[in-house]
Amino acid sequence: MVNRETMAQYLAIFVLLALGIVFGAASLVASALLAPRKQPSAAKLAPYECGIIPSREPPQRFPVRFYLIAMIFIIFDIEIVFLYPFAVILHQLRTFGLVEVLVFAAVVLVAFLYLVSNGALSWGPPKRLVEGMGSRTSETTIERVGAGASSSDRAA
Amino acid sequence: MSVLGSFAGSSSTLVGGLPSSLAVDPLFSRGVHWQEVVIVIIRVLVAFGVLLGSVVMMIWFERKLISDMQSRIGPNRAGPWGLLQTLADGIKLFFKEDLVPNRSDRFVFKLAPYLTLVPALLIFSVVPVGGVVTVAGHTFELQVADPPMGILVVLAMSSISVYGVMLAGWASGSKYPLIGSVRASAQMISYEAALGLTVIAVVIVSGSLSTRAIVAHQAPAFWDWNVLRLGVVPFLIFVVAITAEMNRPPFDLVEAESELVGGFNTEYSSIRFALFYLAEFMGVITMSGVMVTLFFGGPDGPIPRFIPTSDLWFPSVWFLAKVFVFLFFYVWVRAALPRLRYDQLMDVGWKALIPLSLAWLLDVGAVIVWGWWALVVIAVEIALGGVLWRAFVVGSRRSEVAAIYPPIASRMLTVVPEPTAEEEQE
Repeated sequence: MVNRETMAQYLAIFVLLALGIVFGAASLVASALLAPRKQPSAAKLAPYECGIIPSREPPQRFPVRFYLIAMIFIIFDIEIVFLYPFAVILHQLRTFGLVEVLVFAAVVLVAFLYLVSNGALSWGPPKRLVEGMGSRTSETTIERVGAGASSSDRAA
Repeated sequence: MSVLGSFAGSSSTLVGGLPSSLAVDPLFSRGVHWQEVVIVIIRVLVAFGVLLGSVVMMIWFERKLISDMQSRIGPNRAGPWGLLQTLADGIKLFFKEDLVPNRSDRFVFKLAPYLTLVPALLIFSVVPVGGVVTVAGHTFELQVADPPMGILVVLAMSSISVYGVMLAGWASGSKYPLIGSVRASAQMISYEAALGLTVIAVVIVSGSLSTRAIVAHQAPAFWDWNVLRLGVVPFLIFVVAITAEMNRPPFDLVEAESELVGGFNTEYSSIRFALFYLAEFMGVITMSGVMVTLFFGGPDGPIPRFIPTSDLWFPSVWFLAKVFVFLFFYVWVRAALPRLRYDQLMDVGWKALIPLSLAWLLDVGAVIVWGWWALVVIAVEIALGGVLWRAFVVGSRRSEVAAIYPPIASRMLTVVPEPTAEEEQE
C-alpha cells in the first residue's frame, strides 16, 4: 500500500539529509573564511609518515584475504536480504516458510563449511614450522658458522 | 485511510494477533497539508539541535569519565567542570589551516567526511524518542520519521558509513590511512553480517520493520522487552557487532594509534577532522538509541500519572535514561579493555558471532512456529556447530602447513630452501 501518507514518512528523512549536507557545507565555508590562507609548504603537504620522507608509493596490492572476506560477505549479505521479508511474515507463513528458510540456511552452511575448511578465514602470516629444531647451544652456533664458511669454501 | 486512522488511536492492538506491518505516524492520518510539513520541519530542526547538543555533551562526558577512571582530572578550564571544552575545541578547529595533501584525490578526499557524517545523522531519524503526543489538535509521534521499513534505514545507513571510512583512507594517498581503511572495510562488512542477522530475530518476534511497531510490541512491562524475550544472546551479539561497526574500542583497529599514527583520518585536519570526530560520537548516541529501541522497549516504562502532563514527556525521560546507560557502557569499555589483534577480531566475527546469530534466529522462528518441537532444530544446530568447529580446525591446519622448512642448521648449507610437497601444491 503505497500512498501519499506512507511516502510522506520519508519527507522528514530527506529534510534531515538536506540539513546534514547544509551543516557540513556551512562548516566548511566557515572554516574557509576563518582559517589562515597562506600557501602551505611542500613538507606540510607531503603524506604524513612521522617525519620520514616517503620514498615509495603507498601499496597498491593487498593480501588476498581481504578480497576473500568481501566475497564471503556477499554470501551472507544475500542470505540476510532474503531473510528480512521472511521475518516480517513468518507469522503467516508458519511451517512452510520455516522449512524453506531452514533448507536455505543449510545450503549456505555447506558453502561456508567448504570455505572455512579451505582456510579462507585463517588470518595472520602462515606459521613456518621448522622440523626437528633443537635447542640453541654454543655448539650448534659454531656448527652453523662453520657450516656457512665451509659452504663458501665449497662454492669456491 | 481507515487502517491508518484506527492505528493512530491504539498502538497496543499490535500485541495480540497479527501485527500490522503498516505502522505509520498518525501525523499524516488527515492527509499532507502545509501544517503537517511545518510540523515535520520543526521536528527535524529540534532533533538536529538536540543531537548536536548531546554530541557535544557526550564528548565532554567521555573525556571526563575516562580521566576519572585513569585518576586524572580531565578538562576543567573552559566553563564549569570543563563543560564547554568541546565547544572551545570546535571553535579552535575552525581557525586551523585546511590542508589537502598533494598526493590525495581531491574530490573524494573532500567527499569522505560527508559520507560518514550524514549516515550517522540519518540513523537518528527512525529512533523513537518518546510516546505519541497531541499538541494543538495534531497527533504525532516523538520521532523524526516513521517509515514502514524503519529498521532497514538503520542498516542501509550503517552500510553507507563504510564508504566514508574506506574512501577517506584511500583518497589520502598516504600509507597509514590506506592500511587503516582496508582493515576498516573488512572489519565493518564482517560485523555488518552479524548485525543484520541479529536484527532479523527482533523482526521475527515483532512482525514489523517499523521502529515504532517494534517498540509498541515490547509495551506492557519489562519482561516483554526483546532482550529477555529473545534470550539475551541476540542482544549481546548486537552490542559487540555495533561496537565493531562504529570502530569503537576495543575494536578500533581502524585508528590503532600504536601502529597506524591516526588511522584513516591521519591526513585530515581542521574542520574536516572535526566532522569525522562528530560522526563518531553521533554514531555512539544514535546506535545506543537503536539498541534501546530494538531490545529495551524504547521509551517504554512506568509513568507516574500523578504528575500532570507526565504522559507527554515521561516516556522521553525513560528513553534518555536507557540511552545514558549505554553511553556510560561505551566509555567504560573504552577505558577497561585493550584493543584486539586483527586475526582475533576476524575470528570473533566470522567464527563465533555470525554462526551463533544465524542459529539463534532460526531457533526463534522455530519456537514461534513449532513450540517445543524447536528442540529438534536446536539439537540439529548443535550437531552442525560441531561440524563447523571441525571445519575451522581443518582450515587453520591447512594454512599452517603452508611452509615446513628444514632445520636451521641444514638451511645454511642449502642456500635456497627446497620447497616441500605442500608448498609446491600452493
